[in-house]
Amino acid sequence: MTKARALADAAVRLAPALLGVGLFVLVGLASVAALWRQADVTQWAGYMAQPYLWRLVRFSLWQALLSSGVSLLLAVAVASCLCHRNFWGKQALLQGFALSMVVPTLVAVLGIVVVYGRSGWLNQWFGLELPLYGLLGIVLAHVFFNMPLAVRLLLQGYALIPGGQWRLASQLGFGRWAAFWLIEWPYVRRALPGAFVLVFMLCFSSFAVVLSLGGGPRSSTLEVAIYQALRFDFDIGRATFLSLLQMLICGVMAALVYRLSTPPPLDVSLWPRRVPGLRDSGWARTLDGVALTLALLWVVPPFLAILGPVGSPTFMATLWAPATWRAVGVSLSLAVPAALLSVALGLAFAVGARAAMERPGWAWLPHQLEQLGNWILVMPALVLATGLFLLLRDAGWSAVPNHAIVVWVNAVMALPFVLRALLPAVYQYEKRYRRLYQSLGVRGWTRVLRDWPLLRRSVAQALGYAMLLSLGDMGVIALFGSQGLVSLPLYLYQLIGTYRLQEGASVAVLLVLLCALLFMACTRGIGGPAPKVGVGHA
Amino acid sequence: MLDFDLRYAWRDFSAHYVAQLAPGMTTVLGGSGEGKSTLLHLLGGYWGGQGRVRFNGRDVGCLPPHERPMTMLFQSDNLLPQLTVWQNVAVGLAPSMKLNAEQRERVQWALEQTQLQAKQQVLPQVLSGGQAQRVAIARALVRQQPILLLDEPFGALDPNLRQEMLRLVLEITQRLGLTTLLVSHWPQEALTLGGHALLIEQGAVRAQDSVEVLRQTPPPPAWVNYWGAAKRVNQSSSADQDVA
Repeated sequence: MTKARALADAAVRLAPALLGVGLFVLVGLASVAALWRQADVTQWAGYMAQPYLWRLVRFSLWQALLSSGVSLLLAVAVASCLCHRNFWGKQALLQGFALSMVVPTLVAVLGIVVVYGRSGWLNQWFGLELPLYGLLGIVLAHVFFNMPLAVRLLLQGYALIPGGQWRLASQLGFGRWAAFWLIEWPYVRRALPGAFVLVFMLCFSSFAVVLSLGGGPRSSTLEVAIYQALRFDFDIGRATFLSLLQMLICGVMAALVYRLSTPPPLDVSLWPRRVPGLRDSGWARTLDGVALTLALLWVVPPFLAILGPVGSPTFMATLWAPATWRAVGVSLSLAVPAALLSVALGLAFAVGARAAMERPGWAWLPHQLEQLGNWILVMPALVLATGLFLLLRDAGWSAVPNHAIVVWVNAVMALPFVLRALLPAVYQYEKRYRRLYQSLGVRGWTRVLRDWPLLRRSVAQALGYAMLLSLGDMGVIALFGSQGLVSLPLYLYQLIGTYRLQEGASVAVLLVLLCALLFMACTRGIGGPAPKVGVGHA
Repeated sequence: MLDFDLRYAWRDFSAHYVAQLAPGMTTVLGGSGEGKSTLLHLLGGYWGGQGRVRFNGRDVGCLPPHERPMTMLFQSDNLLPQLTVWQNVAVGLAPSMKLNAEQRERVQWALEQTQLQAKQQVLPQVLSGGQAQRVAIARALVRQQPILLLDEPFGALDPNLRQEMLRLVLEITQRLGLTTLLVSHWPQEALTLGGHALLIEQGAVRAQDSVEVLRQTPPPPAWVNYWGAAKRVNQSSSADQDVA
């Protein structure tokens, strides 16, 4: 086969993947271009001269830095503790952590208001009144979401530690401290920059939290300012300027950190991964206990808080209200297609990256594809949606409903998380089985069938995450929501905004139940039984 | 004297090992998947089994790995990749790697014994497979534990290097009076090393004899199965067997 034939052959086999990646890139670029056409560069100098703008930027940066710093600091201690200690409820805690990042933002906001707010638990029980609205509330909420996420990212780093090193640690009598510095830290250090960038960007571009807990223009962020420019002033020029600024800051930040970090190696150790008991000490136990308690105190009470009205008359009344069920319907009609689309895009990325892996001349591609998916975090969802809206309007397709725009943007925004769930598994199996598949001529459809049992758990997880993110989305919907398009989170926002906290909590419970149900349907229904990857005993 | 009576079950594999070993070399032989490595991991305390392990009358079976009077060399992953050669050896004496003068001397001595003085400041990633395993041996030397467990640590080395390593192991075993267990795929290695051979089949000690039985034709009844098969393999493949 000539080189050209081989390339053409590969292009045909990879067509679906190329189509997916191409669609993502094209729609993204076209949306930005549509937005750009609305931008009025002559006004930029005027925007720049406003002290309000720089206050916005400073506050956005400061709250993001503080939130991600606290999240990571706590996460390092908690991850190390979870790696070493076994205790009752550990699995449940890990699963809870997995979900806390996809808990609908407004549910958590509501929980935080019920715990820390003016008439909240803290005030009722301890007489402690916190200035919740502003920096404190924002950081409380951001750490609530992102500390568990950071823990999970760090634990992924921990999973790369070859089992043999733990075996050595137990042979050499390492204590917790020695094990942390000699074994864990090199892996933690490699996972930290990536985790920091992700958490920082999530906090920097956080919308719903700042919108509901910011409490005024003093503690507003760029993202909220973009929303205000679009929704209230319909000043697209200003919104474009703000979003470009936001993308610039996030982009510079990401580029800086990635430059400083090395991509974590994929190391497959066949030794069964059991962390043996290391030498323990009193203060190691104390430190672990403090870290874990702090994490639990941070994460658990807001969850409990929303359960308050369960069973009350308000709860039942809200449950039977037609508005509630209309919102459920809207949420489902947004989340299910968005999740499927997101996973389809994710698979396209994964297959493309896999095909390029370790191929001479193409080895750079997988990392770039992964980054391409992550760049979306730099892009404010509102901007993407507005760009898409303008694109469709300019193209004369104004018949495309807002519903479709929300679905697409939700799908795209979930992509980084989908990729995180899919890529490691795809890479790992490719590394292990590529030669075997090549020698047996397994490709195309047969390859899909062979891979499915190995990958279905990752696919299910990706679908579950995408579903939850879309279900809980309170970004694009805030902009595009209208009389007929009120999803559960938007409904919840309206209830919190009018201080109907009891009804809000009822809707929140319903939303969480819906999330749990759909997540389980994904992971159990599609994930199936755990694959039996044999680990020899001798 | 090392004596043990250990039971272990994992999925559909179950094992029960009983033996008493005198100081000196013992080569653990047996086919793949018969449970040779399992025995060493149980003795080292890395896998939990039931039963007892006694060394010179002292019960060591309940101790965590680092408190057992043993050092184990694994098939791979014997070094901490982020530490230099010197640190990898020193960490065998103190996890903090803060050593006193006497301990430093001991590290130097071990590096000399394993001919690694020139490499002390390099990281494991630039070492060859043989050098990496020598570092692990150097660490075993500084730890001065009376039992040495070797789980095919030289399996990936070429025959010449492997033989060199075996000589090193044999020498330190004799000089320091260690009780050394070496898992091997090659009966020839047992003959090189001398001492005793332990035959493991289906998770049990099937035979324990002087290695000289491997020279008998026909072999003693317990060895017929294994040794017969091993010899057939020997005749059909040649190059790899030059060890002996």
